[in-house]
Amino acid sequence: MGKLKRSLAIMLMSALLVSGVTACGGTSENTGDSKTSAAAGSSASSESTNAAPDVSEKMDISVALWGIDEALANADNDQFLQAMYKKLNITLKPRQITWDDYTQKAQMWSASGDMPDIMSIDAVGTTYYRNWINQGVIKPLPEDLSKYPTLKEYMNKPDIQALKQPDGKIYTVPRSLYDSLDYCAHDRIVLYRWDLAQKAGITKEPETWDEFNAMLKAIVDKDPEGKKISGLTANNVKQISGFFWLFSDPAATSDGSGSDFKWIKKDGKYVPAVLTTDLALPSLQNMRTMYDQRMIDRDIANMKGTQSYDKFVSGTSAALLLVGYGNVNNQVNERWKKLHPDVPLFDAVKKADYFPATDGNKYHCTFKTYWSESYFSNKMDDKKMDRIMMLYDYMLQPETKEFYRYGVKDVDYKKDGDKITKITSQEELDKKQPSSANLQALVEFDNAYLYDPNNSTIDSAIRESAIKDLEHSREVTKQPDYEVKLTDISTPTKDKFSILDHEFMLKIMAGKEPVEKMWADVLKEYEAKGLSKMIDEVNAKAREMGLN
Amino acid sequence: MSSKKGLPAHKTSILKSILFYKYFYLMLLPVVAWYAIFAYAPMYGITLAFKTFHYGKGILGSPWIGFQNFIDLMSDTGFWSAFKNTIIISFGKLLFHFPTPIILAILLNELIFRRAKKVFQTILTFPHFISWIVLAGIMTNILGQSGVVNQVISNLGGGTVPFLSDPSVFRPVIYISHIWKEIGWDSIIYIAALAGISPELYEAAKIDGASRWHQIRYVTWPGIRPTVAILFILTIGQMLNLGSSFDQIFNLYSSPVYGVADTIDTFVYRTTFTIGADFGYMTAVGFLKSAINVAMIYLANTLVKKSGEQGLF
Repeated sequence: MGKLKRSLAIMLMSALLVSGVTACGGTSENTGDSKTSAAAGSSASSESTNAAPDVSEKMDISVALWGIDEALANADNDQFLQAMYKKLNITLKPRQITWDDYTQKAQMWSASGDMPDIMSIDAVGTTYYRNWINQGVIKPLPEDLSKYPTLKEYMNKPDIQALKQPDGKIYTVPRSLYDSLDYCAHDRIVLYRWDLAQKAGITKEPETWDEFNAMLKAIVDKDPEGKKISGLTANNVKQISGFFWLFSDPAATSDGSGSDFKWIKKDGKYVPAVLTTDLALPSLQNMRTMYDQRMIDRDIANMKGTQSYDKFVSGTSAALLLVGYGNVNNQVNERWKKLHPDVPLFDAVKKADYFPATDGNKYHCTFKTYWSESYFSNKMDDKKMDRIMMLYDYMLQPETKEFYRYGVKDVDYKKDGDKITKITSQEELDKKQPSSANLQALVEFDNAYLYDPNNSTIDSAIRESAIKDLEHSREVTKQPDYEVKLTDISTPTKDKFSILDHEFMLKIMAGKEPVEKMWADVLKEYEAKGLSKMIDEVNAKAREMGLN
Repeated sequence: MSSKKGLPAHKTSILKSILFYKYFYLMLLPVVAWYAIFAYAPMYGITLAFKTFHYGKGILGSPWIGFQNFIDLMSDTGFWSAFKNTIIISFGKLLFHFPTPIILAILLNELIFRRAKKVFQTILTFPHFISWIVLAGIMTNILGQSGVVNQVISNLGGGTVPFLSDPSVFRPVIYISHIWKEIGWDSIIYIAALAGISPELYEAAKIDGASRWHQIRYVTWPGIRPTVAILFILTIGQMLNLGSSFDQIFNLYSSPVYGVADTIDTFVYRTTFTIGADFGYMTAVGFLKSAINVAMIYLANTLVKKSGEQGLF
């Protein structure tokens, strides 16, 4: 017995010694190179109020994120990744997803029990989101996030807290886009070829739908460059609802997921704005007119990849619907500079203004302050979840953001107050930390950074234009009225209900039968799927929630 | 009546036969293994058609719900639209595509210059090797508003035709593009059958004064008829797959033409991955399609046997 006790004591002593040495090793690694671990070092201060996190056990974390393969390809020579790996004692293992296959892969992985530790998808409100929660596929976040103060603050936003399930837990970390719905105004942008409009005899920039349509018609009919120019095209047909509903049904604007339809009060009852006849019909009629008169590109439904950007820049489409000034910069302007090196983009191209809707008000599209979310496999243990929460906390810290945006302080950039002066050019920085462009979207998109004067990844003229337009939008537009609390509520029928509005919009637009008849058929289809039942359930729930 | 080892005589002879042809059996082994692993073993997944899928429990552990998925199917307008389209496109392809490789094979067979025959055959077979993903991109460009076809139409004074988003022309586009892609490949087996016809029969027909047309009608056609019959049965058996043509339709269609183009396969894919429908429900759709395929192959086999040809079983 005495021998056994002695052995146990020796083993315990050895374990303590080993963990002590490991901990010392970790500290020396973190402080050894103050320059390459600038973010890591400074982040430690934010944790000073808490006990030092235990990262002694090395962990591999599999991550499904768009472009992750490419991001991690040069991990050994990536200063940002190496600092993160050292700080958290982790290695990220890529599970590649693309914009075309991420939904399918997420569903296949979750069905086959092969879900990566972190999976990215826009699933909130979908049938599978609810199944994943109810059937134990995804792991909830720890209820007490005080160990991760930056993440805790991030998760405290009202629309994120609204994702709390009846069991009081949150099962996802939404990828924040910006802190205000005002920025949604730029989630759908229409650019038009003002140079061609002028050649077609247009002298005034359009301020109404009628003027916009007349301008497109003039460009298409006169075809100033003889290229058989078409009307408005779009990069992704899922995005069309964010523009065309603004004609008469602004609360119907949807992100294309089919699960974010908004509820408005009509005749004392909450109904989905997108299926409200008197609001929807004028927008659909406008689309049909535009399509019939070739103001909309006849190929809009078949655009693939980046075809639409090429068409617009090369002058074979008069207007382009796209997402965000980031794409104006990266997709349109980059192409423009190659094809028209002597003409600045905004000398020849204009962004469409906010046109008055049928009720006389001007609106911009409205979605959520986040798009897509991180989900965590329920197969992982609490220790790994803890490390992932540390990773998310780390990625959200201001010092980390500075690191992935500008590099290492005093090596790649200098900071004077809020002003950043770059030492390393963006091109060189991309070589030093190739992962940062993709990896910064692991937790949040943070699109508001686009408007930051320190952001050198965007052309200054485009940034100025974006800032100016955002101010203009705040002055002239209003957000549509809808009951935000009902968008993500759960009822038996609503959980299985999906409204892919872009599908019926395109069908009616290109159809031959009268718009009213085709619309009636659409309503009939949704009725067969349980529309009335869903409305009754949602209204009952609204009463329970105290909504009048 | 038993052998020395105590086995019945017929079993001994089977064993002897297997031993004698052991190398043939060895060659057969990979094929049998392939079917066992990839075709038969996964068939347990069909049970999902009678279950509701539970992510945590997997296929085997998901709860049974009897015929509920099939009952739900009966009231699903999306399914019936896809079912109707699959049948229409299947018959359309059978009607328009099935005869074309036969005609092509006969025409190539009639060519006097052997080199020209090979050149045509190669050119016509080539599109078979291009994937629908690549072809869809090419077709979108060719058939687009400013594509070659519409430029020709407008130069001739016509208006542009939205080939890929107009429901009235989408199905013909599907038939024509399918014929263009597969005509050369599908004609190979008929060309092989034609090569098997004895030249003496043609010589005898010529001596009897038969014209080229008569030679085709009375020598060539009877020569390839059994091949046509077998391929007809196989095509009928695969008809719903042919009609569904997932790769072709998925890469070419868009929501304006769902009403005429959404087939069972594309419906299953969209409903499963876009809306997130239950895997059990979608398996029921696939199960129904397979059941119809089996019924059709049986029907075709019976019809072929009744017409005097040899059936498959």
